[in-house]
Amino acid sequence: MSEQTTRMYERFPLARRIEHMAMLLSFTTLGLTGLPQKFPSAPLSIAFVNILGGIETLRSIHHFAAIVMMLGTAWHLLVFGYMAYVRRTRLSMLPSLQDMKDGIQALLYNLGFAKTFPQMGRYTFEEKMEYWAFVWGAIVMGATGFMMWNPITTARFLPGEVIPAAKAAHGGEAVLAVLAIIIWHMYGVHIKRFNKSMFTGKMSEQDMLHEHPLELADIKAGVAERPVDPVEQRKRERIYLPIAAVLALFMLGGVYGFVNAEETALTTTERQVPTVEVFVPFTPTPAPTQTPTLAPTETPLPTSTPTVAPTSSTPEADITAETPAASASITWDGAIGTLLQEKCATCHGAGSMGGLNLSTYEDAMRGGSSGPAIVPGDGANSLLVIRQQAGDHPGQLTPEEITQVIEWINAGALE
Amino acid sequence: MNKWFKMHTFQLGLAGIVLGVLILFTVLAFSQPSTVAAAPQHQSGTPSNESCLFCHQEQGMTAEIGGQPLPITIDGELYDASVHGTENLACVDCHSNITSFPHPEVTASSPRDFSLEMYPTCQQCHSEQYQKTLDSVHQRAIAAGNNNAAVCTDCHNPHTQTRLTNKDTGELLLGARLLIPQTCAKCHSTIYETYKTSVHGAALTEEGNQYVPTCTDCHGVHDIQDPGENSFRNSTPSLCANCHTNETLMSQYGISTNVLDTYVADFHGTTVKLFEETYPDQPTNKPVCTDCHGVHDIMRPDDPQAGIAVKQNLLVKCQQCHPDATTASFTDSWMSHYEPSPQAFPLVYFVNLFYKIFIPAVLGGMIFYVLTDVYRRFIARPKKVEGETH
Repeated sequence: MSEQTTRMYERFPLARRIEHMAMLLSFTTLGLTGLPQKFPSAPLSIAFVNILGGIETLRSIHHFAAIVMMLGTAWHLLVFGYMAYVRRTRLSMLPSLQDMKDGIQALLYNLGFAKTFPQMGRYTFEEKMEYWAFVWGAIVMGATGFMMWNPITTARFLPGEVIPAAKAAHGGEAVLAVLAIIIWHMYGVHIKRFNKSMFTGKMSEQDMLHEHPLELADIKAGVAERPVDPVEQRKRERIYLPIAAVLALFMLGGVYGFVNAEETALTTTERQVPTVEVFVPFTPTPAPTQTPTLAPTETPLPTSTPTVAPTSSTPEADITAETPAASASITWDGAIGTLLQEKCATCHGAGSMGGLNLSTYEDAMRGGSSGPAIVPGDGANSLLVIRQQAGDHPGQLTPEEITQVIEWINAGALE
Repeated sequence: MNKWFKMHTFQLGLAGIVLGVLILFTVLAFSQPSTVAAAPQHQSGTPSNESCLFCHQEQGMTAEIGGQPLPITIDGELYDASVHGTENLACVDCHSNITSFPHPEVTASSPRDFSLEMYPTCQQCHSEQYQKTLDSVHQRAIAAGNNNAAVCTDCHNPHTQTRLTNKDTGELLLGARLLIPQTCAKCHSTIYETYKTSVHGAALTEEGNQYVPTCTDCHGVHDIQDPGENSFRNSTPSLCANCHTNETLMSQYGISTNVLDTYVADFHGTTVKLFEETYPDQPTNKPVCTDCHGVHDIMRPDDPQAGIAVKQNLLVKCQQCHPDATTASFTDSWMSHYEPSPQAFPLVYFVNLFYKIFIPAVLGGMIFYVLTDVYRRFIARPKKVEGETH
């Protein structure tokens, strides 16, 4: 080998290599944590989610990698601005008609219809294709990712349907991107020939001759880089750097907004557990053989068809309907009798549980086996009130109803 | 061939015996309906049912236990019609400590305490069911000191209980399904009231529809679990899917059977699905069926007043977890179990269609180019030009 062929040319400065590494790591992480979400039923997905400690952890990692990629993209844009404006570097990544010609020629050459492989410059058509595919992917994934990350904000400005559409696009684009990397990138720089320049930063003259012959010629001719006047460059830097700083702040703000536009879709509020009072027994049904001694007309006899217990502290039950109007005159006949019959008579009616029968005024005033239930004028010391205020009586009155009963008793428990 | 058989007669015989025994056990195992052990044989000399009923058919009899009355009147006709009566069980099979009059003193401190003392008797015949109840939310409540929790006799009055299952198959009789809600309602009356108003409950209680879920279809029988458990919540989609993906059942009502698939395909369902697979006992804040459709108050989605097909009603459900969502358009971010089509959610449909074409087109092109490159580079290598190094 001649000395000439081992000569190395710098291809990627360190900053560019770091940028690539950041993209490589974030892209891989996004792919690995994203695909299980697209294919949640696959056993491999389930196993992978399990390894990472659950779907929520997996999503956090996915979000973190997305932030890294967004920051990497912002950095890339700032560097591009510097190179294009300050350094006036050739925009060698821009696609051109020549790339299409090169591509066709390469294909024809591979198929044996062309004699020579196309000679290309700093970036081959394959590299440009991949770069611009990545740009397209970044735009699609960024936009749709925002919509999924911030669905409430999105739905303020766009129809809600765009969010599932964004999810569809995010997933479709992800599959495309991952497979494209595996097919195109893997083949192009790993299998065809292991191109290490993105890690070492250098490329041998021999490889340059094969892959970038036009660039090599430009380098040798000394026209690859346009000479920059140091004074002119400093002048442009003075203009660009403040603009870049503002742009950087703007983009950082954008990333911050992306991540923090809304909270409730991410760290959802504590799940509202519907609380249902579980044990609300029917008021005990007297044994079927017990024949009632008298059957008050208003009190339905306990039948095999269950009737609900009057206590209804669940949100589902309608408790407003039977609350008596407070303005009704407080007498037994006016309100209290009806109330007690409605709520208590299933046990303290004909059945006289505990000896107490509340179906008529006289029976109620007589009291039960524990003594008088109602002490006229003294609501607080009436057994009925004491039992009810404990709050756990099977036929529980509502606080408003208890207040009404107390008022009635305090007013003398009138008939 | 014949020679081989002769040489291996012993082995073949042994294999035959083993196979036979295996088949016998298999048949025995599967022919055993999950029902009840045989009724006990009565020894002579024990009191007959008639002798018990001589007193106990007296109307209005009560026993005082701890100062509270326990009705002890037994309706002989009802008993004879009950499953225990038709199986000729004697009173003393369960009340085994009673052999004569006067009866031994009751040690229980209350009628409830008496029930709690008595119910383990059921396991004499109903061992399988009894064992299951030991792993139930009711038993755990009792163990925690809540004596109100249901035991066998609270749901099955042993003196009147009629047959609930097919004697041969052990399957629940259809008529029995209609009675179950009333049984549970004895203690869970407010839930029953709610259930009655639901699309399932109304069909069952008003139309006698025997195919809609009754309590036990979701909560199980005997080994009823705490529906507040995370594992119960996380398994809700599979539970509802048991019926809602059943084409035969759903076609009667014209209901789609893709509800599980469309749920799992969505963000929430994906999460819950992955969650159930990996951490079934951990809480998840993503909604399951019941969070939007209700628990016992499940409504038709197209109910004109309360149905969640009405966007404003659905938004209220969304806001349980997304309080900041105030625009009705947010509800469209969930596709309401629709599969995207040109009519329903066309944007999603066309995005999917685009990628269905775009992905194979792009990758196909790439693969084609790569293959030509492989062909040229590794198979049909161009002859090396003299002096050129490769």
